[in-house]
Amino acid sequence: MRRTRTRRRARAVAAAVTAAAPLLGACGIQETDVIEAGGPASFQAFLNRDHDMLLFFRSPDGGLSPVIRTTEPSAGFGDEYVEPGSADQNSTDTAGPVPTEKAVLALLAGPREEDRAAGLSTSLPATRPGGTVEVEPPSNGKVTTRLPLALQDLNSTALHQLTCTIAYSHNTDGQVVVELTDQDGTSRTGTCGLAPRNSGEAPAEPGPSTR
Amino acid sequence: MTTGSGAGSGPGSGSATGFSPDRGPDPATGSGPDRGPGRSRIRAFGLRTRLLLAFLLVAAVSAGTTAALTYREARNAMLQTAQDTAVTSFRDQVQQTAFGLPLQGGEDLEAVLRDIARKGKPHPWVVFAEYGSIRASSGENPVSTVITPELRRAARANPHGSFERVVKDGVPYLTIAMPMVFKASPDSVLPSGLVLYAVMRMTDEQVNVDALLMAARDGALPGLAVALIPGLIAARSVLRPVRELRRAARSMGSGRLDTRIPVRGSDELADLARTFNESAAQLECSVRELREAEERARRFASDVSHELRTPLAGMLAVTEVLDEDADHLDADTARAVRLVSAETGKLAVLVEDLMEISRFDARAAELNTDEVDVAEAIRKTLHNRHWSDDRIRTELPDGIRARLDPRRFDIVIANLVGNALRHGSAPVTVSLRTETRSPSPPVLITEVMDSGPGIRPESLPHIFDRFYKADAARTRSAGSGLGLAITLENVKLHGGTIRAGNPPGGGAVFTVEIPLHAEGARG
Repeated sequence: MRRTRTRRRARAVAAAVTAAAPLLGACGIQETDVIEAGGPASFQAFLNRDHDMLLFFRSPDGGLSPVIRTTEPSAGFGDEYVEPGSADQNSTDTAGPVPTEKAVLALLAGPREEDRAAGLSTSLPATRPGGTVEVEPPSNGKVTTRLPLALQDLNSTALHQLTCTIAYSHNTDGQVVVELTDQDGTSRTGTCGLAPRNSGEAPAEPGPSTR
Repeated sequence: MTTGSGAGSGPGSGSATGFSPDRGPDPATGSGPDRGPGRSRIRAFGLRTRLLLAFLLVAAVSAGTTAALTYREARNAMLQTAQDTAVTSFRDQVQQTAFGLPLQGGEDLEAVLRDIARKGKPHPWVVFAEYGSIRASSGENPVSTVITPELRRAARANPHGSFERVVKDGVPYLTIAMPMVFKASPDSVLPSGLVLYAVMRMTDEQVNVDALLMAARDGALPGLAVALIPGLIAARSVLRPVRELRRAARSMGSGRLDTRIPVRGSDELADLARTFNESAAQLECSVRELREAEERARRFASDVSHELRTPLAGMLAVTEVLDEDADHLDADTARAVRLVSAETGKLAVLVEDLMEISRFDARAAELNTDEVDVAEAIRKTLHNRHWSDDRIRTELPDGIRARLDPRRFDIVIANLVGNALRHGSAPVTVSLRTETRSPSPPVLITEVMDSGPGIRPESLPHIFDRFYKADAARTRSAGSGLGLAITLENVKLHGGTIRAGNPPGGGAVFTVEIPLHAEGARG
């Protein structure tokens, strides 16, 4: 009798202590989980659509990093672009945006010194110079590009690089479906989908999908 | 017990009720009422402790809960403000900055970062930039050790600003991750792959939080101390009546029936005190009535024996004369005269015994002790009664001396031996020895054993009762029927005990135990 009463009392005390413990326990400043706080920050990137193009290279963590490359200057780099003459002819007027063919050729030429300095690389194979890129005029939101490559040899990052470069070259929002074809007739279709989700409709999954 | 005999701390207080004397030899158990006072007043789980604990617990729970909740809310609000300020100002700062793509590491980048870091709010922070394989910071190390992989992963996985509070080596840090985007077109942005991190020490916040904690504690602890005061007052208000009640109950138990408790207030304890007083009054009343009735009865017996003694004295004188002259009368008359003479003698003995018992009942019996040689005293007793023939055997070692009342001890021995000779059969053995039992003083043990059939078991408990006849068939015996009762009273007067029993060898044995030094006995 007496023992049960003592035990009951002990249990009540234990309950009180248990109830008080969380109140007393959280003293000081505690760690937290990762908490989301608003959207990203946008910064000034000096992107001029008239003579800058966006190339997408592979960053060390496996993602894609856009790189702004200016077309204008430097005769020294001239032969990296396919025949200045034909480029000039393709881009009929200089006021317009940089032609897609040029951007794709620049991408295929690989990262430059400053890109490599930042750890950027490409998953595309080195192409022999002189290959041609043909861009068909867009039809119902789809851009078809013919490439001097074998698409079957490319991994998803390489395809993504191509898709994004073409998409952003063609459309300032990058919201366009890109179809890649090679000489063998193989084709891949996809969207870039790098834009943050808050920019509008739900984007397609990054990476091209096989037709 | 007559009025005024008071505390009654002695073996006699038990026998105060009625004419049935104590049948067992238990003079030591009468001292019950004095058992309590040794207990300490403050106990481990007494009422006072429990009340104090209850008050303290209530105060602790309320003060602790209030303090803890207040503290928590204030701390959270403070941290939230600091975090929001930091995140907002970090975003504002970096949005005013321009970067080229690809990012160029080196001095320029570090200068930009330092510029951002300087404008940190609410405290300066360290800014880290991660882009591709470039790692730069406004501080000394290009890579922070505080930023967790989880934060990095979150910043890379989805383009949202995010923060995490980290405690490293006891110092709390706020780490903010800000993935950077740039405008690819007027209405679309593109992740740049650049993530800026800000790491801010929250030392000021910690100081403030600690101050809050101190304030909460400093508020709660005096509250506990203050709670002790009503606790003590409540305990006192309960304990004092309880203590008074206990004292009064003990005082009543020791015979002071006129004890009353002062009734204060109108609470339950006052009711209890009032009930106690009423019960005590009723008890006192009935005890008084009982005592008066007993007193009347005792005085009646005493008066009767006194009244009888005077005519009996005269009758004895006459019967002695008649006895002497009986030889000259004719046979029938002589027999009648002798019968009258014998019965008158018995009557005289009975009256004497009655008076002796009355003196015991009235507590008028006194003990006149003297240092005697016990063996010698017993031999004298036997000799005076002419019991020196071979009906009596003695085992009386010489040299045992004790403080006794010689007259009363003589009565004890004579009654026991006479009883043995009357109801048992010869030979009767009287033995004497002393015995020492460690906690109590040494005792003198006198045994009187006969060779008769022994006492019937059903008679044993009543053998010392007044007018108890062990042999129901023999209604008239030679004794007065008070002999053993008087013996018991005499032994008790010496502070000793007496018991009767049947030893295995047959016969009946009466054992008297008297302390060797009877000063402690009442007298």
